[in-house]
Amino acid sequence: MTSDSRALAATREHSPVAGMAHDTRGGISNPILGMILFITSEVMFFAGLFAAYFNVRANAAHWPPTQPEGLAEHFNLHAEPFFALGLTIILIISSATCQLGVSAIRRNDRTGFVRAISITLILGIVFLIGQVYDYMTLGFGLGDGVFGTTFYTLTGFHGAHVFGGVIMLSVILYRGMAGQFSARHHDAVEATSIYWHFVDVVWIGLFSTLYIL
Amino acid sequence: MATTALTPAAAGYRSGLYEWVTTTDHKKIGILYITNSFIFFFLAGLLALGVRAELAQPGLQFVHDENTYNQLFTMHGTAMIFLFIIPMLAGFGNYVVPLQIGAPDMAFPRINALSFWLLPLGGILMFSGFLTGGAAAAGWTSYSPLAQDRPLGMQGAGEDLWIVGLLLIGTASILGAINFLVTIFKMRAPGMTMFRMPILVWTILVTSVLVLMATPVFTSALIMLFIDRNYGGHFFDPATGGNAILWQNVFWFYSHPAVYVMVLPAMGIVSEVLPVFSRKPLFGYKAFVFATAAIGALGFSVWAHHMFTTGSVFLPFFSLMTFLIAVPTGVKFFNWIATMWRGQLTFSTPLLFALGFLTMFLIGGINGAFSASVPVDFALHDTYWVVAHLHYVLFGGSVFGVFAGFYYWFPKMTGRMLSEGLGKAQFVLMMIGFNLTFFPMHILGLSGMPRRIADYASTAGWNDLNLAASIGGFLIAASMLPFLANVFVSLRGGRIAGDDPWEANTLEWATSSPPPPYNFDHLPEIRSERPLFDLRHRRTLPAAVLPDPGPAPMPTVSATPAPRSRTRRTKP
Amino acid sequence: MSSYRRTRPSTGAIVVGAVLLVLLALIAFAAVRGTNLGKAANDIMGSMFPPAAVTEQGRQIRGLYDVVFLIAAVIFLLVEGLIIWSVVRYRRKPGDNVLPAQTHGNNVAEITWTLIPTIIVAFLFYISWQTLNSVDAVSTKPDIHVRAVAGQFQWSFVYLGDDGQTEQYTQFVPIGNDGGLVLPVGRNVQLSLESPDVIHAFYVPQFLFKRDVVPGQVNKFDFTIDQNDAGQTFRGQCAELCGIGHRAMVFEVHAMSQQDYDAWLKQKIESAKPTARPSGSGVPPAASLNLVAQGIQFKSQTLEAPANKPFEIKFDNQDAGITHDVAIQDPKGTLVVNGDDVKGPGQATYSIQPLQPGDYKFICTFHSNMTGVLTVK
Repeated sequence: MTSDSRALAATREHSPVAGMAHDTRGGISNPILGMILFITSEVMFFAGLFAAYFNVRANAAHWPPTQPEGLAEHFNLHAEPFFALGLTIILIISSATCQLGVSAIRRNDRTGFVRAISITLILGIVFLIGQVYDYMTLGFGLGDGVFGTTFYTLTGFHGAHVFGGVIMLSVILYRGMAGQFSARHHDAVEATSIYWHFVDVVWIGLFSTLYIL
Repeated sequence: MATTALTPAAAGYRSGLYEWVTTTDHKKIGILYITNSFIFFFLAGLLALGVRAELAQPGLQFVHDENTYNQLFTMHGTAMIFLFIIPMLAGFGNYVVPLQIGAPDMAFPRINALSFWLLPLGGILMFSGFLTGGAAAAGWTSYSPLAQDRPLGMQGAGEDLWIVGLLLIGTASILGAINFLVTIFKMRAPGMTMFRMPILVWTILVTSVLVLMATPVFTSALIMLFIDRNYGGHFFDPATGGNAILWQNVFWFYSHPAVYVMVLPAMGIVSEVLPVFSRKPLFGYKAFVFATAAIGALGFSVWAHHMFTTGSVFLPFFSLMTFLIAVPTGVKFFNWIATMWRGQLTFSTPLLFALGFLTMFLIGGINGAFSASVPVDFALHDTYWVVAHLHYVLFGGSVFGVFAGFYYWFPKMTGRMLSEGLGKAQFVLMMIGFNLTFFPMHILGLSGMPRRIADYASTAGWNDLNLAASIGGFLIAASMLPFLANVFVSLRGGRIAGDDPWEANTLEWATSSPPPPYNFDHLPEIRSERPLFDLRHRRTLPAAVLPDPGPAPMPTVSATPAPRSRTRRTKP
Repeated sequence: MSSYRRTRPSTGAIVVGAVLLVLLALIAFAAVRGTNLGKAANDIMGSMFPPAAVTEQGRQIRGLYDVVFLIAAVIFLLVEGLIIWSVVRYRRKPGDNVLPAQTHGNNVAEITWTLIPTIIVAFLFYISWQTLNSVDAVSTKPDIHVRAVAGQFQWSFVYLGDDGQTEQYTQFVPIGNDGGLVLPVGRNVQLSLESPDVIHAFYVPQFLFKRDVVPGQVNKFDFTIDQNDAGQTFRGQCAELCGIGHRAMVFEVHAMSQQDYDAWLKQKIESAKPTARPSGSGVPPAASLNLVAQGIQFKSQTLEAPANKPFEIKFDNQDAGITHDVAIQDPKGTLVVNGDDVKGPGQATYSIQPLQPGDYKFICTFHSNMTGVLTVK
């Protein structure tokens, strides 16, 4: 095999097989594409929960329901959406700071990155604390009628996703402080920020559905 | 020729248990998938034998009580679908897809290992229900409110274990789908454009989209059921303000596309096997791709055809969509026949099973037109006719496809050929047993025998056909004996396969059998969907750069891996 | 690679031959045993079809089935024939060393076999839709209105008055000469399906029809039993898995002429009257019995009551989400009392009219295995 070595060498040069586990030929990188696909599946997960909510709501005689006895006033979330509105604003701001962090690392500004992600992380934790406080003061529980079940399932799974996002933010913050990211290498940051925006969007959907619609 | 005579290049395959448990090599994970799926296939098959033993005669004589009987068919259905067919096809995908697109591995090898290991975990959890006083018994569809924690419902841990097991398996599926999609979109070898990908890769691509979009909805359904059962939720139980039909909607939104998840890759396997053994290209490659995509797209708009009799479905829409699915399926059938037309068919075992797929899946497919017609479905729904239909689709289709694929790629996976004689014995036994089991069920259903009954009146006229079906069931079980013998004998002393025993078309046959870690040292040039055919018939590389291939042309790329590709990279 | 030896091309032929041989042997065996082959062929053909329909709607469905079957059979024979033809005709023969023509496709052919199936399924959809509109039509003024209640694991049938509300008579025994769903022929019957617990399905094979009985919603459908089927009995069965008693949830439909039906219903309403009415006579009950239902069981399996005096049963249903009631059968098996349904958890007090001495049976009409003995003395 001498005469064809030139052709094969040419092949090898562009080939993913030459020891390259990840092909990075142009376009979107594998982890980012993976994260986007994962978020697609998450969208469908929440679509299932939302479908259940709207189905239950469409079948109910009154919404918010008048049953069980004595809880109807607690169910009327539309009357006092202000606390939740505050949480919404917190999450929206955190999305913005998260994006600031991404822009910073794209500029190779590690200090700016650490600062922005720290603020995002704190806002995420504040949101979680706020949600726990909200749960404790709502006056109804998971078992209190279809309203309680759908409310806690939807917000609870969103909260779990925020918690997951907080962990991801902590990881990239730690790695950022350790200097592992640069303008060229920060897939984890991009992926986390996409995820965080997604969690934010889900909350805006939840807030609109549960408190405004 | 001498290069191919070298026995397995991959020394890694000989290393111990530790290697298998910790591997991130897509080929080993693929083999793990396949092995694990076969274990659950045999377990679920035993459960089916229990069902058939009970129904062989009227009266309750084998399982003695309905509760046990309900557990048998519930776990049979669940395990066959979620622990056998779906992961088996994912296993073939795992093994074959990176090879066929010329990639060194899957995009996320460690996530790949995770999505495999969730499967046995989920399966064991689900089956452990038998040890906790009764596994799930509400059918694999687990309709609520029967599945609720209530008297005469599903009290006890079995149903909860079923839910948790399925959550794990669903997670595995989603992760696997993401992995396939990124691999297929991002890791194709130079020259491997989308429309040069083997059809199996296309079917896995469409399947992965289905899994990615549908499985999370099922996950949400399972979680809601779990909340209902354990935390006082009110989703699905009308007695507490929920909606029983809601469960069916979210369940079938996944579980109907799941049928295509189980059938499309089997169609892909058949589309790999038929051209090779006909010595012709697949007829209408692009039509085939579009038909696959069409089935996937339509698959999302037909879920409610399982609910025609619930009285809360907009019937004409779902009926029309269901009918329409027959069109792309029909296109595929005619393309397959046209592939064989004027070809030169070699009746090796893979082709026999592929032909089994064609002839049997055709019956299951045509049956679908009966169910799509709503008034006819009113008569047939939830009878044994439906049991016959679904087995003609999932056994006649998917399982025959699985065995076609197994016989086709076994030489690649192990470097050794399976015995043709034993393979044909298995095929004949399975074909007879399958038809003897499931064809009578059409007749039983038409004459009014409902599904999921542990017993029937001896005066109903169902005795003979049920006995026939039971005999057939045990024949299917018997057909597994030559299969197992074949595998074990061939693993020890089967004929050495060489790189390309079938004169195949796709890239996996361009490397050694079994392939080395990271699969290829060199790739042939890819100018069509049949790079190896092009190479064999000297269409790709100009003759000047090729050594004279001599009278028996073969891939110039050597099967012997270069030393550097053997070194295992710790961080892929 | 050329060292790979192909299997003999005749193997496929051997398999096909073997299958044919088995078929021939079976036919020969049947012929030797004296089976009438013509009749057998007829029976086999007949088994591919549902039973003869006994309702107007069923006959329409059967007509549709026949059309679908015919088209399906033609497609099946065509495609299966093409497959077998390809297998037999195009097997590789010794000496086939030249590659066959490498046909990659043919647009005309592919468009043809896309369009023709599209037309066929469009036609099938159209005729299905037509039939559906006819068989699924629900009348606002049915001749007969019956509410079928399916509970784990028992059917009961409530005959409703012309307003579709008043309960005229409840049939608790789903099978037997004195039980079952009794209906007149030639009249438009509407069934309203209700379930107090899980999903069931109303299915009578000869109606070629089934409809799910879904808790939380009322499903209705209409049918008219053919005139010439008076006197026939049709067996029906629950078709949706509903738990351990699923297989036992059978019922019968008795078709009667209009006169017989009217007489039957009149007699049933008369005989149920004295006991169906709650005690309003002002006579205080002579005894008060307590009965608790828990875990689909009556806690006490025996009760005692004074003879010939009104008494009351205080019923406490402790099964959350499950409906029970108390009904009393006299020693002959006739239902003399049927208490109101109580959804658990809940209580009710049943006032019982004086009873003759004897051993009565009390049951929950939703759960046929919930029984006990009421001794009246």
